Amino acid sequence: MECQNARSMIPSYCDGELTEAQAGPLRQHLLGCQPCRGSAQDLKNLKRWFAAPAAAAVPTGFAARVARRAFAGDTGELAPSVPGPRVAEDGGRLLRFVLACTSAAAGVLLVLSIGVRQIGLPQTNQLQADQPAPQLDRALEELDRLNRAEKAPQAPPKQP
Amino acid sequence: MEQEATDDTSLVEEALGGNRASFQLLVERYEQRVFNLIRHYTRNPVEIEDLAQETFLKVYRRLGSFQRQSSFYTWLYRIAVNTILDSLKRRGRSPVQAVEDLEAVPAAPAVASPSPSAALEREEIARITHAVLEELPEIFRTVLVLREYEEMAYQDIADQLGISIGTVESRLFRARARFKERLLQKHPEFGNEG
Repeated sequence: MECQNARSMIPSYCDGELTEAQAGPLRQHLLGCQPCRGSAQDLKNLKRWFAAPAAAAVPTGFAARVARRAFAGDTGELAPSVPGPRVAEDGGRLLRFVLACTSAAAGVLLVLSIGVRQIGLPQTNQLQADQPAPQLDRALEELDRLNRAEKAPQAPPKQP
Repeated sequence: MEQEATDDTSLVEEALGGNRASFQLLVERYEQRVFNLIRHYTRNPVEIEDLAQETFLKVYRRLGSFQRQSSFYTWLYRIAVNTILDSLKRRGRSPVQAVEDLEAVPAAPAVASPSPSAALEREEIARITHAVLEELPEIFRTVLVLREYEEMAYQDIADQLGISIGTVESRLFRARARFKERLLQKHPEFGNEG
């Protein structure tokens, strides 16, 4: 067997795809040809990277759950459009609605607070901090009068 | 094996007749193999379960189209592989590349294949291999998974993927060359251990 033929058969040989009639002559060639034997060993080395890992964990009750969903009419098919963007789109619409409501509520609150402030404010501009209010003047005058009356010498009581 | 095939067919018939327990039994029989297969494409447990569920729901929906000539698992397997590949495309994980283009790419120059060090744990080897496989184009990854992990014969791979045996051979050859190339790029330390 020529090396060129042998090399082309090595992958099938290592994968167990050759019949004994095909594998026999190749095996003979490999025994006597170090470079071709090296090629076969090279492929075997590569195949060692595909050692099966531990079995994947199957969640408890998976089969029962799937059977229930299947018989409930769940097709397992995704909606025509990709769900991710749809969710994002729905979320965006909701967010816009919430923002619109919030801004409307903020506007109403602003108007209300201005109105309340206007009600609480005095309706005249005559009240000044350096000018006593008329009621205060009168109260002060009254107090002053009472003070003076108290300090004034009292008339002696009349003798009977 | 033959008995199991017969049992599968009976279970399919019963499931088609409305027997939920029979369908559940079919799922139980193959859930481990389907989970193991999907795990070669994603390590995310939630994603694995989602894809397995999607696979079995499709299986149920198409149960009526199951041809009894092939084994139930071969049929189920094809649905699983297509579900995985569709999902990867949908999520934009694997840019679509023309098969012809990839197969026209010359194989990597012949360098000795690294062999996993004896000190490496099985799970560590699996982790490294998975990371390399993730970077391979889909057609190469799938042919390697089917051959190396599922130990499928060339004819079965050809049937699964709808290609000729010759294409399986050439695709495997290039896939292995790509795998070796990427492995050495990511882990040059293994290059000296050949």
